[in-house]
Amino acid sequence: MLRSEPPPPKQPLRRRRLEALLRREGSTARASQRSAASQSSIVSQQSLEIALNPKEPQASAPIGLDEARQRLRELGYLSGAVERFVFRRALEGRGGLLLPAVLLGALAAAVAALAAVDAGEPGFGSSAASVCALLLHLFLADLLPASLAALAVALWADRSRAPAEAATAVGLLSFAAIFTLWIGGMWGLARAIPPRSLLWGAPVSVAALFLARSARSGFLARAYAHSRVLPARPRSRVFFAAAVAGVLVAVGIFASRGETPAVAAPHPSPRSGTVVVAAIDGLGLDGQPGPALAGMQELFGRGRTAWWPTPAGVSPPEIWTDLATGQPASRHGVRALERVRPRGSPLSLRPPFGTGWYLRRLGPRLSLVSAAPVSGRDRQSLAFWEITASAGLPSLAVGWWASGPWPGAEVVGNEEILARAADGIAADRDALVEFGRRRQDGEPVQTVYLPGLDILRNDPEKRSVELAQVRRFLEDEISRALAGPGALIVIAADSHPRSGALGRMTVFDGAGEWKMIRARSSDVAPSILARVGVPPAQDLAGQPLAALFREGSLETTTVATYGPRIAPAAPQSRQSDREYLEKLKSLGYLN
Amino acid sequence: MAKLSSESLSGTAGPFDRFAKLARPPLEDALLQSLPPSVDRAPSLSLAMREALLSPGKRLRPLVALAAGDLVRARRPAATAVAVAVEYVHAASLVLDDLPSMDDARRRRGRPALHVTHGVATAELAAVALLARAFELVSEAPETSPATRARVTAELAGAIGAGGCCAGQAADLAADPSALTLEDLEAIHARKTGALFVAAVRGGALAGGAGERTLTALTQFARNLGLAFQITDDLLDHEGDPARMGKDTGRDAHRANFATLFGPAASRQLVEELLGAAVETLSAFGPRGGVLADLARVVRDRKS
Repeated sequence: MLRSEPPPPKQPLRRRRLEALLRREGSTARASQRSAASQSSIVSQQSLEIALNPKEPQASAPIGLDEARQRLRELGYLSGAVERFVFRRALEGRGGLLLPAVLLGALAAAVAALAAVDAGEPGFGSSAASVCALLLHLFLADLLPASLAALAVALWADRSRAPAEAATAVGLLSFAAIFTLWIGGMWGLARAIPPRSLLWGAPVSVAALFLARSARSGFLARAYAHSRVLPARPRSRVFFAAAVAGVLVAVGIFASRGETPAVAAPHPSPRSGTVVVAAIDGLGLDGQPGPALAGMQELFGRGRTAWWPTPAGVSPPEIWTDLATGQPASRHGVRALERVRPRGSPLSLRPPFGTGWYLRRLGPRLSLVSAAPVSGRDRQSLAFWEITASAGLPSLAVGWWASGPWPGAEVVGNEEILARAADGIAADRDALVEFGRRRQDGEPVQTVYLPGLDILRNDPEKRSVELAQVRRFLEDEISRALAGPGALIVIAADSHPRSGALGRMTVFDGAGEWKMIRARSSDVAPSILARVGVPPAQDLAGQPLAALFREGSLETTTVATYGPRIAPAAPQSRQSDREYLEKLKSLGYLN
Repeated sequence: MAKLSSESLSGTAGPFDRFAKLARPPLEDALLQSLPPSVDRAPSLSLAMREALLSPGKRLRPLVALAAGDLVRARRPAATAVAVAVEYVHAASLVLDDLPSMDDARRRRGRPALHVTHGVATAELAAVALLARAFELVSEAPETSPATRARVTAELAGAIGAGGCCAGQAADLAADPSALTLEDLEAIHARKTGALFVAAVRGGALAGGAGERTLTALTQFARNLGLAFQITDDLLDHEGDPARMGKDTGRDAHRANFATLFGPAASRQLVEELLGAAVETLSAFGPRGGVLADLARVVRDRKS
């Protein structure tokens, strides 16, 4: 039944349609006699009544723009970017969104560290096995920090209100991290940076670029997955600009630390007599005095002494290399007793910036990284006997840490002495035997390092025996120094210092009354050099201690620098390294 | 969100315009050539088919199919076969849509609707014949593998059938026109309008052997584009010029549509955003997606 009232004004088309349907229904009914198929289109009169007399329409409330967007997104619109790689995955789950960034981050960090190692380790780049092995190790090592960084990025993305800008910032931070690893790593490992090291800028930039884009995409995807708000399309040029800027910064920094040109050896003014330098490790004269120590104190009281506080927690090689070079560890490069050798790498190396936690701590526990002893290859600053030898003054050095062959010098390395020593007494005895056997009259510089007292620091009985042996040696040398034109310089320092132990340098050369002055450990090497007659370099950290020496016995001229130390190539033997490390352990080191 | 080209603002022809200018004449030729020969004793059917197919239109859907084919470097004869089939389906859908039992429209493409000139029965038969011919053309598509022909057939069938135009039209007829929600409108128009856009881009891409990822991206493009097209259609229906439109306008003024649901200003904003999303989807294709991307501008700026 049609209603008598006119249809609502907003219904004319629908009404026309339904009326047409009614008309068709009549024809359909007739047609149904011809075709059974048309039965399916019959609409009941009741249905049509309902259709023609609809309930009062409910006007659709206008939809606001934000709600419209939201509802259209729920229907799958306004999501052009979601079909791109990461956004599609964003709809499937958030867990793996930053996985590409983690993998690329670990790879980029590994490449940056590899580039730093190549700059700091001569010959490293020529060993494909070393490069591949280290790259693999560093990649595995960097997975954990990359994952942690990704976690932070994910948290940031979930809270970001400006994801496009934040994602770009994440990309730029990725760039900064990789370039910091590269530049900082080179800075720490290489004293002088060869120009070819800048070629690494290309792979480092490419790796950083991939990482930045991946991190940005992951951030955007994560932000999208969280908010379902599509960010503005990011711009890629900013990353290219960052790559260029990073390389330019690297060039600028490296230019300031470029390969130092060869420096001519200093011209010495040789003094008459021999300067003997006796380095005695583990001799702290400031502890509880016993009879032997009292005798030693009396012995030292016959010379002029400079003292300095001994830093705690520093390895013997670092302390004694400080003294031998006059430079801090940040410049001479010798810090620990060991280097690391990643499994698969024929070469050992110093861990680059940011990877020590893996190469020194985790890797060895997992048997993925082995240790190699520190050697002369690791030292980047010249020791005093190398400077004197380069200046044309024959020199002898026995038993020093991180020492090795040097032109013009006769050097017996620390490993040679310790390799055959059963204990501290034997070590010092062997060192003194070698020293006595190789020293020659008139040789300007003679030095011996005695580790015995340090090795025996926990064995008072043997330590007393050893003190007596050292005292006999010193008494002979002091007598010789005071009788002749030469000088004896005794350096005593404890590389396992107890509270209050001091380092000291005592000079016996016939100078006047007893004197004790405050000094720095870096003053030792310049003092020795000046006493030998070699002009000290101005870029040494310390200065000659004129107060300790006879007046006029020190060289007063200086030179600008001695230049970098370029270690002669020395074969590495894993077997001998292992034996040496075992020996160091048996002597109480590395514990 | 990707920004649309501003070429339209300066009045210069965009990549899609240039593409259409080159592609339309051979497409018109292909449409003409594709018509079946006139059948004895049924000349009105052939004439009605011819009029329905060749009446002046924008050929937007076949051009989209061709552009999608170019995007994946499809061979032009294969893409053209798909494009022609798409236009057949579109022409059939217009004929059916105009019928008195449907929208009861009197004008189409600036001319009297087919059922007005040839009668309802002939118009219905012509629509069915056009659909059948579309599948026939796909099955004979040159330089196309049997598997591709089968997939394109399935795409077109899906766009037409119970999940496509027919479903959209049925939902439209069954709906309470004054109480349509956004979801109702989307469900209707995604099938009535969007489905054939999707079939056009997917069919054109399939002619070029596109992979699933490309098809997925193009589907997203077409969905966003199709909805934007529908909203602009509603806006034009709301405020357009019947002479330029070539069809009756204001017929749906009483019923909810996107323009009334959102309001004109928000509708235009949503059109921008939908087209931006569509263009964004194409960014993975780089410069090759330029023609389809410019289509977004065409849709935004269309006046008919």
